[in-house]
Amino acid sequence: MKNFIVFFLFLFILTSSRNAFTQVYKTEAGNVEFLSKASLNEFTGVSSKLNGLIDLEKNELDFYIDLNTLKTGIGLRDRHMRENYLETKKYPFAEFTGKVKEEISLRPGEIKNVTAIGKFKIHGVEREMTVPGKLIAISVNEVKLEAQFKVMLSDYKINIPRVVFYELADEQIITISLNLKK
Amino acid sequence: MKYSLIVLVLFLYHPTEAQLERKLDAETQAVELIFHAPRHINLLTVEPLDKKTLHFAIMHTFGPLNGGIQNLYGLDNGANIQFSFEYALNEKFSLGAARSSRDKFYNLYGRYHLLKQTLDNKIPLSLSLMGGAGVNTSDYTFLQEANPNFTDRTSFAAQVMIARKFSDKVSLQISPMIAYFNDPNPIYFIEGDQNLYLAVGLSGRYKITGKSSLTFQYIPNLNNELKSNVGIGIDVEAGGHVFQMYFVTSQALNEQYLLAAGNGILGEEFRIGFNVNRVFATGIRKN
Repeated sequence: MKNFIVFFLFLFILTSSRNAFTQVYKTEAGNVEFLSKASLNEFTGVSSKLNGLIDLEKNELDFYIDLNTLKTGIGLRDRHMRENYLETKKYPFAEFTGKVKEEISLRPGEIKNVTAIGKFKIHGVEREMTVPGKLIAISVNEVKLEAQFKVMLSDYKINIPRVVFYELADEQIITISLNLKK
Repeated sequence: MKYSLIVLVLFLYHPTEAQLERKLDAETQAVELIFHAPRHINLLTVEPLDKKTLHFAIMHTFGPLNGGIQNLYGLDNGANIQFSFEYALNEKFSLGAARSSRDKFYNLYGRYHLLKQTLDNKIPLSLSLMGGAGVNTSDYTFLQEANPNFTDRTSFAAQVMIARKFSDKVSLQISPMIAYFNDPNPIYFIEGDQNLYLAVGLSGRYKITGKSSLTFQYIPNLNNELKSNVGIGIDVEAGGHVFQMYFVTSQALNEQYLLAAGNGILGEEFRIGFNVNRVFATGIRKN
Protein backbone atom coordinates (compact mmCIF):
# COMPACT_ATOMS: atom_id res chain seq x y z
CA MET A 1 0.00 0.00 0.00
CA LYS A 2 2.72 2.42 1.01
CA ASN A 3 4.67 1.69 -2.14
CA PHE A 4 1.55 2.27 -4.10
CA ILE A 5 1.10 5.73 -2.59
CA VAL A 6 4.73 6.61 -3.06
CA PHE A 7 4.48 5.55 -6.66
CA PHE A 8 1.49 7.76 -7.29
CA LEU A 9 3.01 10.69 -5.48
CA PHE A 10 6.10 10.30 -7.58
CA LEU A 11 3.97 10.17 -10.70
CA PHE A 12 2.16 13.27 -9.61
CA ILE A 13 5.35 15.22 -8.96
CA LEU A 14 6.64 14.12 -12.32
CA THR A 15 3.54 15.18 -14.22
CA SER A 16 3.03 18.39 -12.30
CA SER A 17 6.64 19.43 -12.69
CA ARG A 18 6.27 18.88 -16.40
CA ASN A 19 3.20 21.06 -16.18
CA ALA A 20 5.26 23.95 -14.96
CA PHE A 21 6.96 24.03 -18.33
CA THR A 22 3.89 23.57 -20.48
CA GLN A 23 2.80 26.40 -22.64
CA VAL A 24 -0.89 26.46 -21.83
CA TYR A 25 -2.52 29.87 -21.66
CA LYS A 26 -6.14 30.37 -20.70
CA THR A 27 -8.77 33.02 -20.12
CA GLU A 28 -12.46 33.28 -19.38
CA ALA A 29 -12.80 36.96 -20.13
CA GLY A 30 -11.90 37.51 -23.76
CA ASN A 31 -13.72 40.08 -25.84
CA VAL A 32 -15.85 39.32 -28.86
CA GLU A 33 -17.59 41.75 -31.12
CA PHE A 34 -19.69 41.08 -34.17
CA LEU A 35 -20.45 43.76 -36.70
CA SER A 36 -23.51 43.50 -38.90
CA LYS A 37 -23.13 45.91 -41.77
CA ALA A 38 -26.32 45.97 -43.79
CA SER A 39 -26.99 48.68 -46.35
CA LEU A 40 -29.23 50.78 -44.12
CA ASN A 41 -28.44 49.64 -40.65
CA GLU A 42 -25.22 48.83 -38.90
CA PHE A 43 -24.92 47.47 -35.40
CA THR A 44 -22.58 45.55 -33.18
CA GLY A 45 -22.98 42.96 -30.49
CA VAL A 46 -20.42 42.46 -27.77
CA SER A 47 -19.50 40.05 -25.03
CA SER A 48 -16.55 39.87 -22.71
CA LYS A 49 -17.07 36.25 -21.80
CA LEU A 50 -14.96 34.54 -24.45
CA ASN A 51 -13.27 31.46 -23.03
CA GLY A 52 -9.98 30.59 -24.67
CA LEU A 53 -7.09 28.18 -24.47
CA ILE A 54 -3.83 28.29 -26.37
CA ASP A 55 -1.31 25.50 -26.03
CA LEU A 56 1.88 26.77 -27.61
CA GLU A 57 3.59 23.45 -27.17
CA LYS A 58 1.03 21.36 -28.98
CA ASN A 59 0.02 24.28 -31.19
CA GLU A 60 -3.57 23.82 -30.16
CA LEU A 61 -6.36 26.34 -29.83
CA ASP A 62 -9.77 26.12 -28.29
CA PHE A 63 -12.32 28.90 -27.87
CA TYR A 64 -15.96 29.06 -26.98
CA ILE A 65 -18.51 31.64 -25.98
CA ASP A 66 -21.91 31.40 -24.36
CA LEU A 67 -24.01 33.21 -26.96
CA ASN A 68 -26.46 34.28 -24.26
CA THR A 69 -23.86 36.81 -23.14
CA LEU A 70 -23.94 38.74 -26.43
CA LYS A 71 -25.53 42.18 -26.11
CA THR A 72 -26.48 44.50 -28.95
CA GLY A 73 -27.73 47.39 -26.83
CA ILE A 74 -31.43 46.80 -27.54
CA GLY A 75 -33.12 44.28 -25.28
CA LEU A 76 -35.78 43.17 -27.73
CA ARG A 77 -33.20 42.67 -30.48
CA ASP A 78 -31.16 40.50 -28.08
CA ARG A 79 -34.19 38.41 -27.25
CA HIS A 80 -35.01 37.96 -30.92
CA MET A 81 -31.39 37.03 -31.61
CA ARG A 82 -31.45 34.37 -28.93
CA GLU A 83 -34.90 33.01 -29.59
CA ASN A 84 -35.37 33.25 -33.35
CA TYR A 85 -31.94 33.34 -34.96
CA LEU A 86 -29.17 31.83 -32.86
CA GLU A 87 -31.63 29.58 -30.99
CA THR A 88 -29.44 29.61 -27.91
CA LYS A 89 -31.69 27.23 -26.01
CA LYS A 90 -30.70 24.50 -28.45
CA TYR A 91 -27.25 25.80 -29.44
CA PRO A 92 -25.83 27.90 -26.60
CA PHE A 93 -22.23 28.06 -27.79
CA ALA A 94 -20.11 29.29 -30.64
CA GLU A 95 -16.89 27.31 -30.72
CA PHE A 96 -13.58 27.18 -32.53
CA THR A 97 -11.14 24.31 -32.10
CA GLY A 98 -8.03 24.03 -34.19
CA LYS A 99 -4.31 24.24 -34.66
CA VAL A 100 -1.84 27.01 -35.32
CA LYS A 101 -0.17 26.57 -38.69
CA GLU A 102 3.14 28.18 -37.80
CA GLU A 103 5.72 27.06 -35.27
CA ILE A 104 5.47 29.40 -32.34
CA SER A 105 8.14 30.18 -29.85
CA LEU A 106 7.75 33.64 -28.51
CA ARG A 107 10.06 35.77 -26.47
CA PRO A 108 8.38 38.40 -24.29
CA GLY A 109 7.59 41.48 -26.33
CA GLU A 110 7.53 39.61 -29.60
CA ILE A 111 4.60 39.94 -32.02
CA LYS A 112 3.82 37.32 -34.59
CA ASN A 113 1.21 36.87 -37.28
CA VAL A 114 -0.31 33.45 -37.02
CA THR A 115 -2.89 31.40 -38.87
CA ALA A 116 -5.36 29.16 -37.13
CA ILE A 117 -6.92 26.27 -39.00
CA GLY A 118 -9.81 24.48 -37.43
CA LYS A 119 -13.50 24.00 -37.04
CA PHE A 120 -15.95 26.76 -36.25
CA LYS A 121 -19.30 25.71 -34.88
CA ILE A 122 -22.42 27.78 -34.31
CA HIS A 123 -26.16 27.03 -34.53
CA GLY A 124 -25.34 23.33 -34.68
CA VAL A 125 -23.37 23.64 -37.93
CA GLU A 126 -19.64 22.95 -38.06
CA ARG A 127 -17.39 24.22 -40.84
CA GLU A 128 -13.68 24.31 -41.58
CA MET A 129 -12.22 27.77 -41.15
CA THR A 130 -8.87 29.50 -41.51
CA VAL A 131 -8.39 32.56 -39.35
CA PRO A 132 -5.47 34.95 -39.53
CA GLY A 133 -4.50 36.53 -36.25
CA LYS A 134 -1.83 38.30 -34.28
CA LEU A 135 -0.15 36.82 -31.24
CA ILE A 136 1.65 39.11 -28.82
CA ALA A 137 3.81 37.79 -26.02
CA ILE A 138 3.28 40.29 -23.24
CA SER A 139 5.35 38.39 -20.70
CA VAL A 140 6.42 34.84 -19.98
CA ASN A 141 3.05 34.25 -18.39
CA GLU A 142 0.77 36.24 -20.65
CA VAL A 143 -0.05 36.31 -24.35
CA LYS A 144 -2.51 38.44 -26.23
CA LEU A 145 -4.39 37.23 -29.27
CA GLU A 146 -6.22 39.39 -31.77
CA ALA A 147 -8.09 38.08 -34.76
CA GLN A 148 -10.80 39.01 -37.17
CA PHE A 149 -12.83 36.79 -39.44
CA LYS A 150 -16.05 36.69 -41.36
CA VAL A 151 -19.02 34.43 -40.88
CA MET A 152 -21.80 34.09 -43.43
CA LEU A 153 -25.00 33.43 -41.47
CA SER A 154 -26.44 31.46 -44.39
CA ASP A 155 -23.53 28.99 -44.11
CA TYR A 156 -24.71 28.13 -40.64
CA LYS A 157 -28.43 27.91 -41.42
CA ILE A 158 -29.20 31.06 -39.48
CA ASN A 159 -32.26 32.80 -40.88
CA ILE A 160 -32.02 36.42 -41.77
CA PRO A 161 -35.06 38.33 -40.56
CA ARG A 162 -36.89 40.24 -43.22
CA VAL A 163 -39.46 42.56 -41.73
CA VAL A 164 -37.81 43.79 -38.55
CA PHE A 165 -36.69 47.12 -37.21
CA TYR A 166 -33.05 46.22 -37.61
CA GLU A 167 -31.51 45.03 -40.80
CA LEU A 168 -29.21 42.08 -40.42
CA ALA A 169 -26.37 41.46 -42.86
CA ASP A 170 -25.58 37.94 -43.99
CA GLU A 171 -21.91 38.65 -43.52
CA GLN A 172 -20.89 39.19 -39.92
CA ILE A 173 -17.44 40.52 -39.11
CA ILE A 174 -16.22 38.96 -35.88
CA THR A 175 -13.37 40.52 -33.92
CA ILE A 176 -11.85 38.77 -30.97
CA SER A 177 -9.25 40.01 -28.55
CA LEU A 178 -8.10 38.17 -25.48
CA ASN A 179 -5.37 38.19 -22.89
CA LEU A 180 -4.49 34.64 -21.92
CA LYS A 181 -2.51 33.77 -18.85
CA LYS A 182 -0.61 30.71 -17.75
CA MET B 1 -8.34 4.73 2.01
CA LYS B 2 -7.58 8.23 3.23
CA TYR B 3 -4.35 8.31 1.22
CA SER B 4 -5.87 7.02 -1.93
CA LEU B 5 -8.43 9.81 -1.64
CA ILE B 6 -5.65 12.38 -1.42
CA VAL B 7 -4.01 10.80 -4.42
CA LEU B 8 -7.26 10.96 -6.30
CA VAL B 9 -7.64 14.64 -5.47
CA LEU B 10 -4.08 15.32 -6.60
CA PHE B 11 -4.79 13.64 -9.90
CA LEU B 12 -8.06 15.41 -10.40
CA TYR B 13 -6.33 18.68 -9.77
CA HIS B 14 -3.75 17.90 -12.38
CA PRO B 15 -4.89 19.87 -15.39
CA THR B 16 -5.14 17.88 -18.56
CA GLU B 17 -6.06 20.35 -21.27
CA ALA B 18 -7.09 19.32 -24.66
CA GLN B 19 -10.33 21.22 -24.86
CA LEU B 20 -12.08 23.59 -22.52
CA GLU B 21 -15.16 22.35 -20.82
CA ARG B 22 -18.22 24.09 -22.27
CA LYS B 23 -20.23 25.76 -19.58
CA LEU B 24 -22.96 28.37 -19.60
CA ASP B 25 -22.16 31.74 -18.16
CA ALA B 26 -25.29 31.89 -16.02
CA GLU B 27 -26.59 28.78 -14.35
CA THR B 28 -30.19 29.86 -14.30
CA GLN B 29 -31.58 31.65 -17.28
CA ALA B 30 -34.86 33.45 -17.38
CA VAL B 31 -37.44 32.29 -19.85
CA GLU B 32 -37.96 35.08 -22.34
CA LEU B 33 -40.80 36.25 -24.52
CA ILE B 34 -43.57 34.43 -22.71
CA PHE B 35 -45.81 36.82 -24.63
CA HIS B 36 -44.98 39.09 -27.53
CA ALA B 37 -45.69 42.31 -25.63
CA PRO B 38 -46.73 43.74 -22.25
CA ARG B 39 -50.26 43.70 -23.62
CA HIS B 40 -52.15 40.72 -24.88
CA ILE B 41 -55.51 41.57 -26.51
CA ASN B 42 -56.88 43.71 -23.63
CA LEU B 43 -55.02 42.32 -20.64
CA LEU B 44 -51.60 43.14 -19.27
CA THR B 45 -49.01 40.37 -19.24
CA VAL B 46 -45.96 39.37 -17.20
CA GLU B 47 -43.72 40.46 -20.08
CA PRO B 48 -41.25 42.90 -18.51
CA LEU B 49 -39.67 45.96 -20.06
CA ASP B 50 -35.96 46.65 -20.17
CA LYS B 51 -34.73 49.33 -17.81
CA LYS B 52 -35.40 52.87 -19.04
CA THR B 53 -37.51 51.83 -21.98
CA LEU B 54 -40.91 53.21 -22.79
CA HIS B 55 -43.63 50.95 -24.03
CA PHE B 56 -46.33 52.60 -26.08
CA ALA B 57 -49.54 50.85 -27.03
CA ILE B 58 -52.41 52.23 -29.03
CA MET B 59 -55.45 50.05 -28.70
CA HIS B 60 -58.80 50.18 -30.48
CA THR B 61 -62.04 48.29 -30.33
CA PHE B 62 -64.72 49.09 -32.88
CA GLY B 63 -68.47 48.59 -33.10
CA PRO B 64 -70.11 45.18 -33.33
CA LEU B 65 -69.52 43.12 -36.46
CA ASN B 66 -73.20 42.41 -36.96
CA GLY B 67 -73.81 45.76 -38.65
CA GLY B 68 -72.34 44.04 -41.72
CA ILE B 69 -70.80 45.79 -44.68
CA GLN B 70 -73.20 48.73 -44.25
CA ASN B 71 -71.17 49.77 -41.17
CA LEU B 72 -67.98 48.19 -42.52
CA TYR B 73 -68.22 45.51 -39.88
CA GLY B 74 -68.34 47.94 -37.02
CA LEU B 75 -65.51 50.21 -38.13
CA ASP B 76 -67.98 53.04 -38.81
CA ASN B 77 -69.22 52.96 -35.24
CA GLY B 78 -67.08 55.02 -32.96
CA ALA B 79 -64.03 53.18 -31.76
CA ASN B 80 -62.91 53.09 -28.18
CA ILE B 81 -59.26 54.09 -28.32
CA GLN B 82 -56.72 53.77 -25.56
CA PHE B 83 -53.27 55.30 -25.56
CA SER B 84 -51.03 53.64 -23.07
CA PHE B 85 -47.51 54.58 -22.02
CA GLU B 86 -45.49 52.48 -19.64
CA TYR B 87 -42.00 53.38 -18.50
CA ALA B 88 -39.67 50.90 -16.82
CA LEU B 89 -37.79 52.44 -13.89
CA ASN B 90 -35.83 49.21 -13.61
CA GLU B 91 -36.07 45.61 -14.75
CA LYS B 92 -38.75 44.88 -12.16
CA PHE B 93 -40.93 47.94 -11.88
CA SER B 94 -42.70 50.07 -14.42
CA LEU B 95 -45.21 52.90 -14.22
CA GLY B 96 -47.95 53.40 -16.76
CA ALA B 97 -50.51 55.94 -17.80
CA ALA B 98 -53.37 55.19 -20.13
CA ARG B 99 -56.28 57.12 -21.49
CA SER B 100 -59.34 55.50 -23.02
CA SER B 101 -61.74 57.57 -25.09
CA ARG B 102 -64.77 55.86 -23.60
CA ASP B 103 -65.72 58.04 -20.60
CA LYS B 104 -62.47 59.95 -21.23
CA PHE B 105 -60.92 57.69 -18.66
CA TYR B 106 -57.41 58.28 -17.33
CA ASN B 107 -55.72 55.39 -15.60
CA LEU B 108 -52.42 55.36 -13.70
CA TYR B 109 -50.91 52.02 -12.89
CA GLY B 110 -47.78 50.22 -11.82
CA ARG B 111 -46.53 46.79 -12.73
CA TYR B 112 -44.07 44.85 -10.60
CA HIS B 113 -42.40 41.61 -11.63
CA LEU B 114 -41.92 39.44 -8.60
CA LEU B 115 -40.88 36.13 -10.17
CA LYS B 116 -39.43 35.20 -13.51
CA GLN B 117 -39.76 31.71 -14.92
CA THR B 118 -36.37 30.05 -15.41
CA LEU B 119 -35.22 27.53 -18.00
CA ASP B 120 -34.19 24.99 -15.37
CA ASN B 121 -37.68 25.19 -13.81
CA LYS B 122 -36.34 26.22 -10.41
CA ILE B 123 -38.92 28.96 -10.77
CA PRO B 124 -41.69 27.32 -12.79
CA LEU B 125 -43.69 30.47 -13.51
CA SER B 126 -43.56 34.21 -13.82
CA LEU B 127 -45.56 36.30 -11.41
CA SER B 128 -46.28 40.01 -11.70
CA LEU B 129 -48.49 42.41 -9.80
CA MET B 130 -50.47 45.32 -11.13
CA GLY B 131 -52.35 48.05 -9.35
CA GLY B 132 -54.01 51.13 -10.77
CA ALA B 133 -56.31 54.04 -10.14
CA GLY B 134 -58.35 55.85 -12.74
CA VAL B 135 -60.73 58.72 -13.16
CA ASN B 136 -63.62 59.31 -15.53
CA THR B 137 -63.30 62.84 -16.93
CA SER B 138 -66.43 62.91 -19.06
CA ASP B 139 -68.46 66.10 -18.95
CA TYR B 140 -71.60 65.54 -16.91
CA THR B 141 -72.40 69.21 -16.19
CA PHE B 142 -75.86 68.66 -17.73
CA LEU B 143 -76.63 66.65 -14.61
CA GLN B 144 -76.20 69.86 -12.64
CA GLU B 145 -76.29 68.97 -8.92
CA ALA B 146 -75.97 65.27 -9.69
CA ASN B 147 -72.65 65.87 -11.48
CA PRO B 148 -70.37 63.30 -9.88
CA ASN B 149 -67.37 64.74 -8.07
CA PHE B 150 -63.79 63.57 -8.44
CA THR B 151 -64.08 60.88 -5.79
CA ASP B 152 -67.26 59.52 -7.35
CA ARG B 153 -65.50 59.29 -10.69
CA THR B 154 -62.57 57.36 -9.33
CA SER B 155 -62.15 53.61 -9.67
CA PHE B 156 -59.39 51.16 -8.88
CA ALA B 157 -58.04 47.92 -10.30
CA ALA B 158 -55.54 45.33 -9.15
CA GLN B 159 -54.45 41.98 -10.48
CA VAL B 160 -51.94 39.22 -10.02
CA MET B 161 -50.57 37.87 -13.28
CA ILE B 162 -49.27 34.32 -13.19
CA ALA B 163 -47.85 32.96 -16.41
CA ARG B 164 -45.91 30.03 -17.70
CA LYS B 165 -44.33 29.28 -21.03
CA PHE B 166 -45.12 25.59 -21.36
CA SER B 167 -43.22 25.11 -24.59
CA ASP B 168 -41.75 27.23 -27.36
CA LYS B 169 -45.26 27.51 -28.72
CA VAL B 170 -47.66 27.58 -25.79
CA SER B 171 -47.85 30.21 -23.05
CA LEU B 172 -50.71 30.67 -20.62
CA GLN B 173 -51.50 33.33 -18.07
CA ILE B 174 -54.06 33.40 -15.31
CA SER B 175 -54.82 36.79 -13.77
CA PRO B 176 -57.15 37.09 -10.79
CA MET B 177 -58.50 40.63 -11.06
CA ILE B 178 -60.40 43.03 -8.88
CA ALA B 179 -61.99 46.36 -9.69
CA TYR B 180 -63.65 48.85 -7.38
CA PHE B 181 -65.85 51.77 -8.37
CA ASN B 182 -66.48 54.43 -5.73
CA ASP B 183 -69.77 55.18 -7.43
CA PRO B 184 -71.03 52.85 -10.17
CA ASN B 185 -73.13 55.62 -11.66
CA PRO B 186 -75.45 54.42 -14.49
CA ILE B 187 -74.37 57.45 -16.50
CA TYR B 188 -70.96 55.82 -16.98
CA PHE B 189 -70.40 53.34 -19.79
CA ILE B 190 -70.61 50.45 -17.38
CA GLU B 191 -73.33 47.86 -17.05
CA GLY B 192 -72.69 46.72 -13.50
CA ASP B 193 -74.23 48.45 -10.50
CA GLN B 194 -71.94 47.00 -7.84
CA ASN B 195 -68.92 48.69 -6.35
CA LEU B 196 -66.71 45.63 -6.36
CA TYR B 197 -66.01 43.34 -9.29
CA LEU B 198 -64.04 40.12 -9.27
CA ALA B 199 -62.91 38.18 -12.32
CA VAL B 200 -60.22 35.84 -13.57
CA GLY B 201 -58.41 36.80 -16.73
CA LEU B 202 -57.13 33.95 -18.84
CA SER B 203 -54.68 34.65 -21.65
CA GLY B 204 -53.12 32.17 -23.99
CA ARG B 205 -50.96 32.14 -27.01
CA TYR B 206 -49.98 29.55 -29.55
CA LYS B 207 -46.94 30.46 -31.58
CA ILE B 208 -47.33 29.68 -35.26
CA THR B 209 -44.12 31.16 -36.65
CA GLY B 210 -41.09 32.85 -35.11
CA LYS B 211 -42.88 36.16 -35.14
CA SER B 212 -46.59 35.43 -34.94
CA SER B 213 -48.97 33.73 -32.57
CA LEU B 214 -52.65 32.95 -32.25
CA THR B 215 -54.01 34.61 -29.13
CA PHE B 216 -56.89 34.06 -26.80
CA GLN B 217 -58.47 35.74 -23.79
CA TYR B 218 -61.38 34.85 -21.56
CA ILE B 219 -62.38 36.89 -18.51
CA PRO B 220 -65.14 35.13 -16.56
CA ASN B 221 -66.81 37.31 -13.93
CA LEU B 222 -67.01 35.84 -10.48
CA ASN B 223 -69.45 37.96 -8.50
CA ASN B 224 -71.98 39.35 -10.94
CA GLU B 225 -74.30 38.44 -13.77
CA LEU B 226 -72.45 40.36 -16.46
CA LYS B 227 -71.45 38.49 -19.59
CA SER B 228 -67.89 37.26 -19.69
CA ASN B 229 -65.36 38.75 -22.06
CA VAL B 230 -64.05 36.53 -24.86
CA GLY B 231 -61.38 37.41 -27.40
CA ILE B 232 -59.43 35.59 -30.07
CA GLY B 233 -56.79 37.05 -32.30
CA ILE B 234 -53.36 37.04 -33.80
CA ASP B 235 -50.12 38.75 -32.74
CA VAL B 236 -47.61 39.65 -35.43
CA GLU B 237 -44.18 41.11 -34.82
CA ALA B 238 -43.03 43.33 -37.62
CA GLY B 239 -40.54 46.13 -37.79
CA GLY B 240 -40.11 46.35 -34.03
CA HIS B 241 -43.85 46.70 -33.56
CA VAL B 242 -46.15 44.06 -32.25
CA PHE B 243 -49.47 44.21 -34.06
CA GLN B 244 -52.36 42.55 -32.29
CA MET B 245 -55.56 42.00 -34.25
CA TYR B 246 -58.50 40.36 -32.57
CA PHE B 247 -62.19 39.77 -32.27
CA VAL B 248 -63.53 40.55 -28.85
CA THR B 249 -66.97 40.79 -27.23
CA SER B 250 -66.36 43.96 -25.22
CA GLN B 251 -65.35 47.43 -26.21
CA ALA B 252 -63.67 48.04 -22.85
CA LEU B 253 -59.90 48.55 -22.84
CA ASN B 254 -58.82 49.37 -19.30
CA GLU B 255 -58.95 46.99 -16.37
CA GLN B 256 -61.80 48.65 -14.45
CA TYR B 257 -64.08 48.72 -17.45
CA LEU B 258 -63.12 45.22 -18.59
CA LEU B 259 -64.65 44.00 -15.36
CA ALA B 260 -67.62 46.33 -15.03
CA ALA B 261 -68.56 47.47 -18.51
CA GLY B 262 -70.33 44.32 -19.60
CA ASN B 263 -69.74 42.32 -22.71
CA GLY B 264 -71.63 41.52 -25.84
CA ILE B 265 -73.24 38.20 -26.46
CA LEU B 266 -70.88 35.52 -27.59
CA GLY B 267 -71.38 34.74 -31.26
CA GLU B 268 -73.48 37.83 -31.84
CA GLU B 269 -71.54 40.79 -30.71
CA PHE B 270 -67.94 40.26 -31.64
CA ARG B 271 -66.06 43.35 -32.67
CA ILE B 272 -62.79 44.01 -34.36
CA GLY B 273 -59.97 45.14 -32.12
CA PHE B 274 -56.50 46.28 -32.98
CA ASN B 275 -53.41 47.11 -30.87
CA VAL B 276 -50.03 48.39 -31.91
CA ASN B 277 -47.19 47.95 -29.40
CA ARG B 278 -43.82 49.61 -29.64
CA VAL B 279 -40.91 49.88 -27.26
CA PHE B 280 -38.70 52.96 -27.31
CA ALA B 281 -35.26 53.01 -25.76
CA THR B 282 -34.53 56.18 -23.79
CA GLY B 283 -31.23 57.57 -22.63
CA ILE B 284 -27.94 57.38 -24.46
CA ARG B 285 -27.47 54.69 -27.05
CA LYS B 286 -24.16 52.92 -26.64
CA ASN B 287 -23.59 52.07 -30.29
